[in-house]
Amino acid sequence: MKNIKAFTMPKWGIEMQEGTISEWVVKEGQSFKKGEIIALIETDKISNEVEAEFDGVLRKIVTPSGQTEPVGALLGVFGDTDVPDDEIETFAQSFEAADTGTAVGRNSDTKAYAPAETASPQAPEPAPPAISDTSFDNLNISPKARELAIELQVDATQISGSGRNGRITYQDVHQASRPEAKVDLGGALPMPVDDESIFASPLAKRLAAMNGIDLKGVAGTGARGRIRKEDVFALLPDASARPQASLAQNTDNKPQIVEMDKIRKVIAKRLTEAKSTIPHFYIRSDFDVENLLEFRRIGNKVLNTKASLNDYLIKAVGRALVEHRDVNVQVHDDKIHYYPHANVGVAIAAKSGLITPVVKNVDLMDISDISRATTQLIKKANSGKLGLADLEGGTLTISNLGMMGVDQFDAIINPPQGSILAIGGISRVMTEMEDGSGEFRSKLSVAMSCDHRAIDGAAGAKFMATLKSMIEEPELFF
Amino acid sequence: MAELMLREAILQTLFSEMERDENVVVLGEDIVGGMGTDGGPEAIGGIWGTSTGLYDKFGGDRVIDTPISESAIIGAAGGLGLTGKRPVAEIMFADFLGVCMDQIWNQMAKFRYMFGGKTECPAVVRMIYGAGLNAAAQHSQAPHGILTSMPGLKVVMPSTPADAKGLLSTAIRDQDPVIFLEHKALYAEKGEVPEGDYTIPFGHARLAHAGEDVTIVAAGLMVKFATKAAKTLSEQGIGCDVIDLRTTSPLDEEAILDSVENTGRLVVVDESPPRCGLATDIVSLVTNKAYASLKAPPEMVTSPHTPVPFARELEKAYLPSPDKIADAVQRTLAWK
Repeated sequence: MKNIKAFTMPKWGIEMQEGTISEWVVKEGQSFKKGEIIALIETDKISNEVEAEFDGVLRKIVTPSGQTEPVGALLGVFGDTDVPDDEIETFAQSFEAADTGTAVGRNSDTKAYAPAETASPQAPEPAPPAISDTSFDNLNISPKARELAIELQVDATQISGSGRNGRITYQDVHQASRPEAKVDLGGALPMPVDDESIFASPLAKRLAAMNGIDLKGVAGTGARGRIRKEDVFALLPDASARPQASLAQNTDNKPQIVEMDKIRKVIAKRLTEAKSTIPHFYIRSDFDVENLLEFRRIGNKVLNTKASLNDYLIKAVGRALVEHRDVNVQVHDDKIHYYPHANVGVAIAAKSGLITPVVKNVDLMDISDISRATTQLIKKANSGKLGLADLEGGTLTISNLGMMGVDQFDAIINPPQGSILAIGGISRVMTEMEDGSGEFRSKLSVAMSCDHRAIDGAAGAKFMATLKSMIEEPELFF
Repeated sequence: MAELMLREAILQTLFSEMERDENVVVLGEDIVGGMGTDGGPEAIGGIWGTSTGLYDKFGGDRVIDTPISESAIIGAAGGLGLTGKRPVAEIMFADFLGVCMDQIWNQMAKFRYMFGGKTECPAVVRMIYGAGLNAAAQHSQAPHGILTSMPGLKVVMPSTPADAKGLLSTAIRDQDPVIFLEHKALYAEKGEVPEGDYTIPFGHARLAHAGEDVTIVAAGLMVKFATKAAKTLSEQGIGCDVIDLRTTSPLDEEAILDSVENTGRLVVVDESPPRCGLATDIVSLVTNKAYASLKAPPEMVTSPHTPVPFARELEKAYLPSPDKIADAVQRTLAWK
C-alpha cells in the first residue's frame, strides 16, 4: 500500500491528550502542496494550523470538523489519485494509531511529535528550526528581515518584497507573519452641504452635516473667523441638558447576541473547571512599595533597562518561590509536582483574550533578563505567536490589574499551577512609622489564591511573608 | 449660479478684477494675439483663451503682449509689483519656469524680506502645468513641489471652476507674490461658479468627498482622480475623505491632520515625481504630527521618477489614476 499515508492527531507538548479539528482547509479529494495549510486543530490551550510536509491529495476525511479525537487518532488519509477508493477505505479501516505525523503545526514550538502510544514522559526534543540562516541564501532580503524571518519561522521565499528592486524588508516579514487584517469600515459619508459662503474647515463641515447643524451665521474661532471642529462640538446639544426621561423611554435597548469565539469558550471552560474543582483559599496583604519604587528608578538606570514594576514583582515572586518549595508546585490529580526553579506565569490581556505565558527559571534571571522575556512574551501574545512551550510549566501566575485602577481583587487559579497572585493598585496610605510619626506611604494590595489540596494556610502565609519582606526591602533581590 | 469651464472662470475673474482695480495689468506671450496686433479678430487672447477680449476692453496699457522671454516677463511683473501695480503674468507652460527661475526665486520671492519689509510685491504668476494632453516632456511637468519649497511664494492649485475664480481673486488682491497653477487638463472642466465678488482665503483646504476610513490628500487635477476613486470605493463600503489642498503654500495642516486623526490612514496623490515633493512633504507632516493616529503606513501615489513620456500609452502609465489611487487605499486597509 505505498503512496497511502495516514494523517493523525498531532501531539503538541506533553500535556496534550486530545485535539479538535476546527476546520478542514483542504477538502476531500483536493490536492495540496508542501507548506499549505491542511487543517486547523484546537487544543484546550491553542489553535494551530497544520501544514503539509509534502505534496499530496487528501483522499478521505475520517474525522469531520468539530470532532475531538485523542492524540494519534486517524484524522484523514492521503493518497495518490491512482490509488483505488477501496484501498483507501481498507487502509482507514485497518489503521492502528501508531503512525507518525505527517504535518507540523505552524505556530507550535515543538515541531516533532509522536502519537500517544509512544509519548515519553519527558518533553520531546524540539526539532531544529525548519527555517535557518541558509534558507534565504539567494534571496534579496535585508539582514534585519532575515533575522526576523528566522526568529518567527516565516518562509521569506514566499514574500514579495516591497523594497528597492523587490528587496524583502523587515516590515514585509513582519506583515507576512501576521494574520489577515480585518477592518471595520466606517464607509462613505453624505457630502456636507458645500455652501461656499460658509467658511469652515473640512472636518467642521462634515461634523455639521453628520449632526444636522446649520453653520450659517456661526462665528468661527479659527484663522480669519474659520469655523473649526471645536466650534461645531460647542454647538452639539449638551448631553446633560437633554430631556432624559423621554430619551430613556424611546431608546431601544435590545442586546446584541454574540456567540463566544473559540478562545473565549476555552477560557470559560477552564476557569469554570478551576473554580469548581479547586478548593481556593485566600491570603491578603498590603506591601509597602515606597522603597521598591525608588529601587526600580535607580535599578533601571544602573542596569540600563526599562523593567516595569511587574517585572520586579516577577523577580521577587521567583525568589520567594524557590525559598518555599511547598508553594512552588503544580497539582496533577493526586500527585504534587515540586519544582526546583521558579516558572512564573504572567496574565496578559492579549487582543484575542486572556492568556498566561510563563517566564521560565525566574530565580536565575536578573531584572533586565526578566524585562526582556516579558516584553517578548507580550509581543508574541499580541501577534498570536505563543507556542505551547510558552504556556506550560508555571507554578504561580501573577495577574496585575493595578494599572486599570483596581484597588484589590481575587484571581482564579490557573491549573495545574498551585497558586495565583492578584495584584491591585498602589494607594497612598497614612502609616505610623517606627518613631511614632505619621507618613504617607505607597501601599500595594496583593491577594494570593492557593490550591488547598497542595498548599496549607501556614505555607501560603510564610510565602507571603517572604514576598513581603523582599518587596519592602528590595536590596534582598540581589 | 452660472456653469462655466475652468478657463472661462479664469477669464471672467481677470475681467472683474481688472474692472475692480485699475492697477491690475495682465502680461504674457501672445495674450493679445502676438506683438503688433490691434485687437479685434486677431486678438485671440492667448493660446489657452484665458485673456480673450481683455485687450478690447482694457487696451494696450493694461493688457501687454511680451517678447518670448520668460525672464523678462517675470522681471517686468516683479518691477510692476514693486512700483504699485498688480501684475498678472502668464507663463504659457510652467515648464519654462527654469528660464525665469532667478526672477522668481531670487528676486520676487525675496523683495519683502531683503528690503526689510518696506516693499511689497503683489504679483501673480499664472502658470499652465500638467500632463495628460500628450504634450511631451518639456510641456507637461508639474513643478508645484519646486515652487512650494521656495519661501516667499504662495502657491495655488485650483481644482474646480468655482475655486479657480475664488482663489484667483484672492491671489490678485494678495500683497505677496502668488504662483497660480492651472492644469491644462482641467481647462474644460465645467462647474457652477458663484456670481459676483467671490474670494477663497489661502491655506484653507476643501473637503471634496467625505468618508470614515482613509484620507486622500490631493491638489489640482489629482483631486478629480481622487474623488473618482473615492466614489468607486464608496460602492464597496469604503469611505474616503478627499482633501483638496487648494493651496500648497500656505498648507492647511489642520485639515489634513484632523482627517487623518479620524481615519487613521493616509494616501497622498501627487502628479509630480516622488522624491522631495508634495507627497513626501505631507507624509512627513502626518508622521510627525499624527503618528499615533496612523493605523497603516501612509501611501504615496505619484508619477515615477522620470521625465513625462510623449507616447500616449506611456503618459497614461506615468500619471496617477483613479485605479492606482483605489489600489493604494486598499493597501492601507489591508495593512495588518
